[in-house]
Amino acid sequence: MSTVDDLRRVIRRIEGARPPRPAAEPVERVVDGELHDTGQGAIVLVQREYPLSHRHGREPLADAVAAPLALLARAARVDGELAAVGGLLFLDTETTGLAGGTGTYAFLVGAALIEGDRVVVRQFFMRDFDDEPALLTALEPLLARAVAVVTYNGAGFDLPLLETRFVLARRRWPGALPHLDLLRPARRVWAGWLPDCRLPTLESAVLGLAREDDVPGGLIPLMYFDYLRTRRAAPLRRVFDHNRHDVLSLVALVGWFGRALTDGTSVRPEELAGLGRLWEPVDLERGLACYRAALAAGVPEAIAQWARLRLAWWEKRAARWDAACELWDAARRHERFDPRPWEELAKFQEHRARDLAAAHAIVQDALGLAREAGAGPRVLEAFSYRLTRIERRLARAELADRP
Amino acid sequence: MLGEILDDLLISASTGRCITASRHFPARPPVFAPFPASLDARVVAALRARGIEQLFSHQARVWDIVESGRHVVVVTPTASGKTLCYNLPALQALIDKPDARILYLFPTKALAQDQLAELEALAASLPEMRMFTYDGDTPQDARRAVRARANLVLTNPDMLHSGILPHHTKWANLFQNLRYVVIDELHAYRGVFGSHLSNVIRRLKRICAHYGSTPQFIMASATIGNPGELAARVTGEPVEEVTESGAPSGEKTFLCYNPPVVNPELGIRAPYLGEASKLAIRLLRAEVPTIVFAQSRLSTEVLLTSIKAGVADRATGDAGIVRGYRGGYLPNRRRAVEKELRAGEALGVVSTNALELGVDIGHLDVAVLAGYPGTIASMWQQAGRAGRRAGSSAAILVATSAPLDQFMVTHPDYLFGTPPEHARVNPDNPFILVNHLKCAAFELPINEEETFGGLDVRRELAALEDEGVLHRAGPRYHWASETYPADHISLRTVTTDNFLVIDTTARDEAQTKKRSIIAEVDWGSAFATIYPKAIYLVESVPFEVQELRFREDEEKVAYVKRVNVDYFTDAISAKGVWILRRLEGRQHPAYLAEQGEVLVAEKVVGFKKIKHGTLENVGSGEVELPQQEKQTTSAWLTVPPEALERVSRSREELIDGLRAVTYLLHHLAPIFLLCDIRDLGSWLGDTTPAESGAVATRESAKHRLMQAERFNPTIYLYDAHAGGIGLAERLFDILPDLLRRGLETLQACACAAGCPSCVGPVNEVGRRAKATAARLLSVLTA
Repeated sequence: MSTVDDLRRVIRRIEGARPPRPAAEPVERVVDGELHDTGQGAIVLVQREYPLSHRHGREPLADAVAAPLALLARAARVDGELAAVGGLLFLDTETTGLAGGTGTYAFLVGAALIEGDRVVVRQFFMRDFDDEPALLTALEPLLARAVAVVTYNGAGFDLPLLETRFVLARRRWPGALPHLDLLRPARRVWAGWLPDCRLPTLESAVLGLAREDDVPGGLIPLMYFDYLRTRRAAPLRRVFDHNRHDVLSLVALVGWFGRALTDGTSVRPEELAGLGRLWEPVDLERGLACYRAALAAGVPEAIAQWARLRLAWWEKRAARWDAACELWDAARRHERFDPRPWEELAKFQEHRARDLAAAHAIVQDALGLAREAGAGPRVLEAFSYRLTRIERRLARAELADRP
Repeated sequence: MLGEILDDLLISASTGRCITASRHFPARPPVFAPFPASLDARVVAALRARGIEQLFSHQARVWDIVESGRHVVVVTPTASGKTLCYNLPALQALIDKPDARILYLFPTKALAQDQLAELEALAASLPEMRMFTYDGDTPQDARRAVRARANLVLTNPDMLHSGILPHHTKWANLFQNLRYVVIDELHAYRGVFGSHLSNVIRRLKRICAHYGSTPQFIMASATIGNPGELAARVTGEPVEEVTESGAPSGEKTFLCYNPPVVNPELGIRAPYLGEASKLAIRLLRAEVPTIVFAQSRLSTEVLLTSIKAGVADRATGDAGIVRGYRGGYLPNRRRAVEKELRAGEALGVVSTNALELGVDIGHLDVAVLAGYPGTIASMWQQAGRAGRRAGSSAAILVATSAPLDQFMVTHPDYLFGTPPEHARVNPDNPFILVNHLKCAAFELPINEEETFGGLDVRRELAALEDEGVLHRAGPRYHWASETYPADHISLRTVTTDNFLVIDTTARDEAQTKKRSIIAEVDWGSAFATIYPKAIYLVESVPFEVQELRFREDEEKVAYVKRVNVDYFTDAISAKGVWILRRLEGRQHPAYLAEQGEVLVAEKVVGFKKIKHGTLENVGSGEVELPQQEKQTTSAWLTVPPEALERVSRSREELIDGLRAVTYLLHHLAPIFLLCDIRDLGSWLGDTTPAESGAVATRESAKHRLMQAERFNPTIYLYDAHAGGIGLAERLFDILPDLLRRGLETLQACACAAGCPSCVGPVNEVGRRAKATAARLLSVLTA
């Protein structure tokens, strides 16, 4: 609405005749759900149950039940305990936008619980904005009985958004619930190995799940607005499917992590290196063991290089110089010129071993290779500077040696 | 020292004749009041520790009003201790109840920083004071802590609008317990900015109501004509005024200085910038701390250049004691200048009205006003920048040749006797209102029965639903869009884009990619100041614009290079005004007056090069830039052929005469409207429909009128703010008076054939324009 005239035109148009809203096509029928009366209004509830033998992609849901929750909580650095698997509430929301703030709504909330031998997925949908009190009412008992929440990027998005909705409605938000946001461990395991760490990427690369006819997440708000205006519910079926998939992926990912943490042989070598990154800040020995196992199992060279340098860094910290040097030595033979191991080796020779001649040779080689590889000016400068200094020290040493 | 210089000015033959008026304002003794009995002993102790043994009367008065639960605005001069007026109730409230919350609003981040420092010093000994600024400079990771901890938050309207209200659930504690809202520098919120603020406050009150609090407003303003009314418009509440200051003030001399006539035939006076700089140089050489106010960013730089040259140490060439200060300088440069002035390291400063606000720059002795600042209120503000509670000070108003300035310095009784202008806001401006309705709906769904600041907005809500950004469910309108509306609404300008001015001199030499940003220019003035080849001055150092990037999909930047030139540049623009919608018309005997909505288009097409010092024209250039358009409200008058025939048969003569009348009316109108001359625009055009119009320079517009098949010239006087802030309606009503006053001014002017003080310089309007204008005005007022 750019001008006063536009505004007036619109006002005139409306004042003429407001077309009656098209009669609502019942969503509950389209999505195979039911109207659920919460006592504070009704919402659409879709409930689906999956036996534990169900495979989500390659991943059997049963793995989640077997997952060592205490270990997972430690590795993912969860604030609080993940007591029993039956108390985990797997949660994912579909919203009217990513902007945040009080004007963004969660119109569809998917929640999964493991109940006995089944995974039960419940989806709560508001048919219009005035269903929101009912939606929040329906969520309350689920949150009340949950001992922890599992999400993907929930710390940054879903939970603050739900909190805003609850506070806005003057309802109590259970802020203290332990929260396992799978995005955090996923980033440590896959960042750099996969093109990105979005959930669909993980699904296809890790869970082996190919979604058919999936809605791109970015379109979902528009689809909801479109439904509000036209009341045509049919396109929403894909939004419900998308959301249910996301929730099941949460369960499957917990299963994956559980298996990976207990049995390293069950995952790919590069994922082993990723587990090293996951453990490193929490349990160093476990982390280093993962790096070693990954190197032993054979990983792509870029990942191997990374693992070597991490291992070497810790060996150096522990002053296990032989082990460190061995790793740096392997690392300097990396197919693409990498200045870091060269620098470390030069430092070792110059300051530790006090072998200026060896240090000199290393830096000279490094400088030659760096020039060949077209390294940046900063790298070249650092090596040249080091070289001049070593040469100065060599000259001084020679002087001192003379009678 | 100051007294001697002032005596010299009055007595000496060369300057004495230029001084058209001299007023002496005697020193005023303080009026004290005891500390209120209800003021906590710990606050009293904190005040005593700072050397304050009693209050000034106005501070005690504000205390009483606040205590009685009413809203209040205090209007007092600079350095009268107005901050204590709101700090005392705030501190008391937090001592009484640490859970209470208080919100301070300042128009700039710098002022909030200043005030936080002052508050912290005062409250150092008090318990439970958790005071923080929260604005664009607050680091992301500190924001959560501020939200959780602060019981006194200092921020600005922009942050409240885009960062706090749309996230009110994160501030639930603040809104549940909001006790006071303090709005300082209230006078700064006039026009567009004030209209926005009124709406932000409407939204704030809505959110407070949702959380069950009803905050009390405490406001402070510099002297304006209608502080109570402005405060009431901004808050939507009845407000008590406190206008009697109990603070003492030293004696002050106010001189009006009219530059000497150097060409009596053409009525040309010596350039006012040169005269102002001579005065400033004289004061600064005598080591009198002086502030010089210029009327534009360009004249700030021009003045700074000549004053620096004048005071430069002959031996070293060092002119470091004089600094420049204006919008567009980067914040750290401004902070540095403020600090130097406070510390006395800089003796003088040349500034735009940016220093009218209460930025702490310590005390200066003389204010030189290079040109009448446009309003009486601004004049007193600027004059008030010089002066202490004790000791003498002076202000010197140097008149330009413009009719308004000439009127003021030759009518000192009017100048000193007229009450300051009213600050106008129009919160119901349709553009502004609708934008804030969007934000309000984003914050909380709007009930269809709900009013917005007492206004029935059902039609606007329906329009927004029709547009698709709101959706009604039951009786309530909900935000139904992925966007975050506050991000797209700037409280200060029409667009939010600022241009960065980047110096590439060093980059080309050192081949670095580092960007050296030297200034920022807002969208509205960018095309007129940083067009390609323009000379852009920063602290009087000239840079030439190499390239201006303004396309929608690119970052808005101007690349400049340091150059060594002795000229500056002034933009030449083309313009057009067209009627979009007539709202009201009145047939007068000799003309038709109308008012309504118009489209104003402007385009920078070239520039003149003007030499420093002599101000002669030394060249020109062409510029290729897009046209800028706005819709606003206007009054206009159309003169029918019969009336024109009675004046002259030469169309060219008539056009010159009508232009002369346009100039005169535009320059006199502010006196009647009590507004700034820059709040108005004027144009001589005709009633051609907008679709067939194109912008034109003065020359081509004249040519077009000469060639027009039907000659129905129209004088437009329009509101310079998009959407209008209510000036056009007033203009329409006073048009007959304005024409009469124009004729009087014309007849009283001593020049032969027109001068800048009546119809404009004779070489611009033509030799017969004054005579024709006089005949035209006689016919129009008959």
